[in-house]
Amino acid sequence: MLAKLALRNVRRSAKDYLVYFFTMTVVVALMFAFNSLIFSEEVRDMFQETGVMEVMLGLATFFIVLIVAWLINYMIRFILEKRSREFGIYLLLGMEKRQIARLYMRESVLLGAGAFLAGLVFGVLVQQILMSILYSMVLSDFRINIEFSRGCLIMTASCYAGCYLLALLRCKRRLKKMNIHGLMNAERQNEEIKESHEGLKRWLLPLSVLFLALFGAWLFYGKEWGTHTIILFLVGLVLVIYLFYMGLSAWIISYVRHEGNAIYAGQNLFLLRQFASKIRTMRFTMGTLTALFVLAFLGCSVAMMFNFYENQMLADKMPFDIHIHSSYVEDDFATELSVIENNVPIKEAYAYHIYENGTDVVNVWLYTHLKVFGDAYRKADGTPDLEAIRGERDFAAYCRYDTYMGISDYNHLRELLGLDTVALADDEYIIHIKDRVFRETGDFSDQLAIEGNGGALRFAGFHTEPFSQDGHNGGDYVIVVSDDEIAKMRPFYAQLAVELAGETPENLRNLLDDATRELDFKTSDPISDIDIAAMLNETECVGSDSILVWGANNLVRDNILVEMKCMLSTIIFPLTYIGLVFLCVALTVLSVQQLSDSAKYKFRYKVLRQIGMGAKEIAGLVLKQLLLFYLCPALFAAVIGGIIAGYVGGKFNFYAGVRTPAAVYFGISLVLFLGVYSVYFVVTYVGFLRNIESGR
Amino acid sequence: MNGYINVCDVEKYYGSEAGMTKAVDRVSFQVAEGEFVGVMGASGSGKTTLLNMLATIDNVTAGHIYYQETDITELKPDRLAKFRKENLGFVFQDYNLLDTLTIGENIVLAMTLQKKGKKEIKKESEEMMRLLGIWEIRNQFPYQVSGGQKQRCACARALINHPKLLLADEPTGALDSRAAETLLETFQRLNETRKATIFMVTHDAFSASYCSRILFLKDGKIFHELVRGQKGRREFLNSILDVLSVTGGEGDAR
Repeated sequence: MLAKLALRNVRRSAKDYLVYFFTMTVVVALMFAFNSLIFSEEVRDMFQETGVMEVMLGLATFFIVLIVAWLINYMIRFILEKRSREFGIYLLLGMEKRQIARLYMRESVLLGAGAFLAGLVFGVLVQQILMSILYSMVLSDFRINIEFSRGCLIMTASCYAGCYLLALLRCKRRLKKMNIHGLMNAERQNEEIKESHEGLKRWLLPLSVLFLALFGAWLFYGKEWGTHTIILFLVGLVLVIYLFYMGLSAWIISYVRHEGNAIYAGQNLFLLRQFASKIRTMRFTMGTLTALFVLAFLGCSVAMMFNFYENQMLADKMPFDIHIHSSYVEDDFATELSVIENNVPIKEAYAYHIYENGTDVVNVWLYTHLKVFGDAYRKADGTPDLEAIRGERDFAAYCRYDTYMGISDYNHLRELLGLDTVALADDEYIIHIKDRVFRETGDFSDQLAIEGNGGALRFAGFHTEPFSQDGHNGGDYVIVVSDDEIAKMRPFYAQLAVELAGETPENLRNLLDDATRELDFKTSDPISDIDIAAMLNETECVGSDSILVWGANNLVRDNILVEMKCMLSTIIFPLTYIGLVFLCVALTVLSVQQLSDSAKYKFRYKVLRQIGMGAKEIAGLVLKQLLLFYLCPALFAAVIGGIIAGYVGGKFNFYAGVRTPAAVYFGISLVLFLGVYSVYFVVTYVGFLRNIESGR
Repeated sequence: MNGYINVCDVEKYYGSEAGMTKAVDRVSFQVAEGEFVGVMGASGSGKTTLLNMLATIDNVTAGHIYYQETDITELKPDRLAKFRKENLGFVFQDYNLLDTLTIGENIVLAMTLQKKGKKEIKKESEEMMRLLGIWEIRNQFPYQVSGGQKQRCACARALINHPKLLLADEPTGALDSRAAETLLETFQRLNETRKATIFMVTHDAFSASYCSRILFLKDGKIFHELVRGQKGRREFLNSILDVLSVTGGEGDAR
């Protein structure tokens, strides 16, 4: 009998809580799809290097399990409250508490199991979409391949079961404590509106706004970044998110109480009161929803940043098909060339040198002026700390000396890249510098003194095209001088740039690495009189990039691109995953709240109809009411998320060199957000109208 | 058609042809301006259906209802809503106050929907609340006040826009006898001083005794009519009870 009752109840509540059911289905589908990335053989092959994707997705799953557990707990508690009278009647009829608890648990599990199965089916579809995105990101061809690995299924099921277990445990405690009177009256409880100290509480609203303004100002203009300040502001932010709603509700109530002019226009009085009382009773939930929205915004925005970085910057990082670095100036690259030739036809190979003349003028200037280095290379009085700059380091942005290149080498490389050649007089120099760095420094040639043999050289301009400057054609920059000048300098290290005539084989980089490792081994012969370690240390520099640094001797563009994209997708995917799930969870809570209210309080609309509102007017009123209720946490979250995303985006652009305005990342997240949001909104609106119509 | 409200041959059927229920069966009557009319009848006699049709919240199956020159059975839904807003006021057994609004705001809302100005709203709502003795509780929420006070608030809301007709469906049904008496006296006062036209459905003889005329409904038809005329309330109550004892209806002589 109990089983029958449970089944019937599920059928009824599944209709009432369609949005919840739908969200659980979506969550299972997402879980399944993302988990399948962890277990997919193909993906594992693609990400040969590390288990980064596994770790990142695992981490994302952890947070998602917590939030979904919160959602389930919230929903179970919520349904329990809605049906408290029914449970009270069961108790009155003589059912035992244990029986009711079991009945309710059984219902919840049935509902969950239904969502799980539906989610799996939907999940296979999402899996395909996800895989095709991943494949298109890493430049491979995608063919539909449905993977249904046991591991993935078990992981999804256990995550889901974990969520339920966490939620049910909490709920069981609640069920144990119930009594008939409490249950019968639970429905009436939240109708009581207690208004006290509204005058005081309303000041929380301007205080929250003030705090946000301060927070923004501190982020964008503040310089001191003490741990205490950060913790203080973060705690403050969390508090503000919660207190904001208390303040907003109190502000509206005070406004209505003081008979502000707006309440005398049309339906405003009803709208304001409805809204104030709703956010008042739900202020903690609203706070949590706002926090979830903010996290969803930030997750998507950061994913966008990396996505833009990938699209704009990666190809620029490696303009040559293959670029090989050797600290050994005598290197003729014979080994490397034979490895390449054995695998793919070469269109052109060009070996050349980077030179030095024992100066480090540009290095010193950059070390002391780029923001990324801060005060690390400056003394207290602001002068360059030469000891630190020239001292030994494990990981250097710039080489020991400034890097020079001859104009004919330079022009040859430009031709190789399809760029116009450059004319240079004997007493002139130009600087080829990374676009990102140049945007920060601007023209700083007047602060440099580049000495040639016959005295100071004249500055003839900057060039900023992509030029492989992560340690190959210098770190960040290379100074180009006439061939006469270069002839008088010492070769610093050797370079080989190669353009291929065919497609790059997948394992070319590994082959090259293996070959050069053997070579290194040979050259580190004790008889050799070169101090290899010192030479390596002096000629290896990766520039000042900080988002993705790929310091390697052998750069094979197409091989590395795939790996870099894989690495980036380990950040983009989990963040999008978190963003989507958090968004769905938050919107579900909003929708379910409104839908159940519409059923519970349909008499309000009946009353409005009696005092003369037409069906259209009521539909308009409901629309306004829902918009207010939906937009409030979303807008508030958008403001907080916007401030943080603007700041993070600015920093990201600064370090990554992406030209996209920071607002764009946030804008795209906002558009994505609005897409998901409108689905939930329309479903809720239609359901809301249907609920209140059914009372006619 | 010289009455204020004319109900002509109104019928209301429920169900399909196989199992048709005649809730209201060819009912005709008139209500004069400023009259306080009561409708009595046992459960299922069709009195609430009749009220709902007068209230424009239910359609007639056949027949016409005229408010002066306007035939509301011919109006489209949007016009009906407008008509309702401008001409009718409602008082129901379960008060139907908006629980998120205070007593005062419940009355103000009815006026703001009519797009009245702030000054007018403040002046008239205060007057009305004072008249009905709820001015002191204007800042309380419905759950904080008694049933009688809630019902008086509902009356104030119903009358604030000077409706042509006040419709009351068992208004004393949820009140104790003291509160019911106060409410009925309020109705009577409104009827006398403000010339409010009231149409009240009740099954309680005591409530009905405050009316100036009573229609008795049975199986969807008017089978009797009582006019108070110059009778005192006690005397009128006795006449009502006499009618009820003949028909076997519910009676409550207080």
